[in-house]
Amino acid sequence: MADIAVGAPLAAPLPRQRTLLVGTVLATAATLMYFAALFGVYLRERAQAIGSGNNWIPSSADIQLAQPSVAAWTMLMSVVTMQWAVYSVARNDRSHAIIATLVTAMFGISVIITTSFQYTQMGLVADESVAATLIYTISASHLAMVTVGLVFLGLMAFRALATQRISVQTDGFVAASVFWYAVVVVYVVIWTAIFVLK
Amino acid sequence: MTLTETRPETDPEHARAALPATDQSPAATWVPPTGLAGVLGTSDHTLIGRMYVLFAVMFSGLALGLGFLMSLEKTDISAVYGFFGDANELFQVFGLYRTTLILCGLVPLFLGLATAIIPKQLQATTVAYPRASAAAFWMWLIGAFTHLVATFAYGGLGSLQVGAAREASVELTVLSLGMVALGLLVGAGVILATLVTQRPAGMDLLQMPAFSWSMLVATGVWLLSLPVLLANLMIVWVDMRGVEALRFGASDAPFVQVSWAFDAPQVYAWTIPLLGIAAEVFTSAHRSRPKLFEPMAALVGVFGFLSFGAWAQSFFNDADLSAVDAHVVTDQVVFVAYGLGIALVVLAFLGWLAYNAVTSGQRPEISPQFGFVVLAGVLLTAAVLAGVLRVAGPALGVLREADAGLWAGFFDAMDDLSTSSLVTGMMNLAVLAGVLAGLAGLFHWAPRVLGGHMSEPLGFLAVLTLGGGALLYGLADVLAGFFDQPDRFFAGANLDAIDAVRFVEFLNVVGLMGVFAVVVGFVVVAVDLAFSVQAKGDG
Repeated sequence: MADIAVGAPLAAPLPRQRTLLVGTVLATAATLMYFAALFGVYLRERAQAIGSGNNWIPSSADIQLAQPSVAAWTMLMSVVTMQWAVYSVARNDRSHAIIATLVTAMFGISVIITTSFQYTQMGLVADESVAATLIYTISASHLAMVTVGLVFLGLMAFRALATQRISVQTDGFVAASVFWYAVVVVYVVIWTAIFVLK
Repeated sequence: MTLTETRPETDPEHARAALPATDQSPAATWVPPTGLAGVLGTSDHTLIGRMYVLFAVMFSGLALGLGFLMSLEKTDISAVYGFFGDANELFQVFGLYRTTLILCGLVPLFLGLATAIIPKQLQATTVAYPRASAAAFWMWLIGAFTHLVATFAYGGLGSLQVGAAREASVELTVLSLGMVALGLLVGAGVILATLVTQRPAGMDLLQMPAFSWSMLVATGVWLLSLPVLLANLMIVWVDMRGVEALRFGASDAPFVQVSWAFDAPQVYAWTIPLLGIAAEVFTSAHRSRPKLFEPMAALVGVFGFLSFGAWAQSFFNDADLSAVDAHVVTDQVVFVAYGLGIALVVLAFLGWLAYNAVTSGQRPEISPQFGFVVLAGVLLTAAVLAGVLRVAGPALGVLREADAGLWAGFFDAMDDLSTSSLVTGMMNLAVLAGVLAGLAGLFHWAPRVLGGHMSEPLGFLAVLTLGGGALLYGLADVLAGFFDQPDRFFAGANLDAIDAVRFVEFLNVVGLMGVFAVVVGFVVVAVDLAFSVQAKGDG
């Protein structure tokens, strides 16, 4: 090892590899493939049922567009607040980061509540039709994804707010936001493929 | 410290020795546990990789034992279930053979090698997420054992008749297979993240060793295909949770839905690292560095692209379950194109190996790993050529449309191949090619994975028994397919349609001898592994 003169400035440390962000991108890609498979099955089965002249959604079910539309808009608004949180963390703006994170989490929780309420209203019995099986599989998987996104966001917020300079956790917030945007994209597809097309 | 941070690697013995004699209280310095606690709580990538390899060899041997039982049944194919109790027992073993051989044997074998070797190839201290790697291993291992137990508890991936299987056991089989797939998915993600983030400064992706490159392609394809398998299993499980399964969880539908994972082209996706291991071992045996690396890397990439098979799901092509037939997929133009394309890529890769051998100007150094790699290449070539025969009927259908009478018998024979035992023969050839390549990697990197060399004489014995047996085992089913032996020979199969039953049964006896030799070969490898691990412990 070469001698280092006393008092000489130390070499700048190598930037930390972005393992968390890369890992999150990979996990998000896998999650999107999971939903792509579910949507593929759903649309294929739906096309076959309609093509053979059958009802896809059982006539006893009453699927309204109101709750899914509210949930979809809530998710879309959370994109803005999530980006606001990332922006604030990157600039060490602690108070705005707290507000943006809390509002994003609130949006996510409200989507869970809206979807749960919709389950009680639509009268779709889980084991009575293929459509019900797939709708519950897809929407419940999405609820699980929202929950994972909230836990991820909470963990990153906890780590950031426990430090003096919250900008050191920018990578973590960016990673959480990547996953969150995937949550939103999946819900927009659910809203379109399941609730609008019915 | 969270999952995303890495504790520096510390040898427990050294850490203990380094403690001051006056202060050895646990509170003073944290010392990693040793013994069983050390194994259970380890995040050491070499140890995790070693455990992957040991259990993968064990599961592969077990799966081939199941293959032996099925081959035994086929030696008298005209008799009704002479060895198994009924069709459902045979169906359970038929499914378990595939899941165990591929998802509990082949894929973990490659993941184990990658977990142990890739950080060393990249000059990294460990994998990107050591604890996630450990979690993936234990998830896979617990899932694999649960899968075995659930299937033997009269579960399996569905049943042929109503009430022939315990519904709770079938649900557990489905869930445990999901656990296996999730464990492999996390393990693949860790390797991919390691390859992306842990390279030293200045090393771009194409400067990585061939094995690392092939694992980059493989884990990329696995990362996109395993979630699809998970989605299939999730739908099955949800359907089974109701009063009565409606479609996805009914009768043998669970197996049919996941069967794409054990069939072309996806079966080739599980063998992608074979190409990287072959490139490294082959050039190393010729004492040269790989020439024309970029074209080889491109071939591996194209092979990976063509082997992505999550789209080839015949189950969803018809709402009527009884109409489900592998033919539905094999008639699609894209399926035909993939079958032909993969064969061309493998032939081009063999050409690349030949070019490297010729330009090295050296005779190869004969070693067990070289023997394994050569035989793996032969098996993979046989598999892709069988795949070409499988899609040959539809591929030549254009000619038949032009003239219906033209070689009508030939075309009909080619069409029948797509539902014949050629399908299983092709799968066996491809998967065993991958297993042989994995063993080649194990012999090649034994000092790094196991801490010492493996025995050469036992290695050569394993090459002979495994290689010869695998060829007989795979080709017997491929040839029997030409005589219309059905792939699923238990489920309402038209056994009367088999041409020359006696000859087919002779081929099945040959296959039985082949799989017996393969099992013997695995025992030899297991003994060799045990000796190597013990020798390291003694050392």
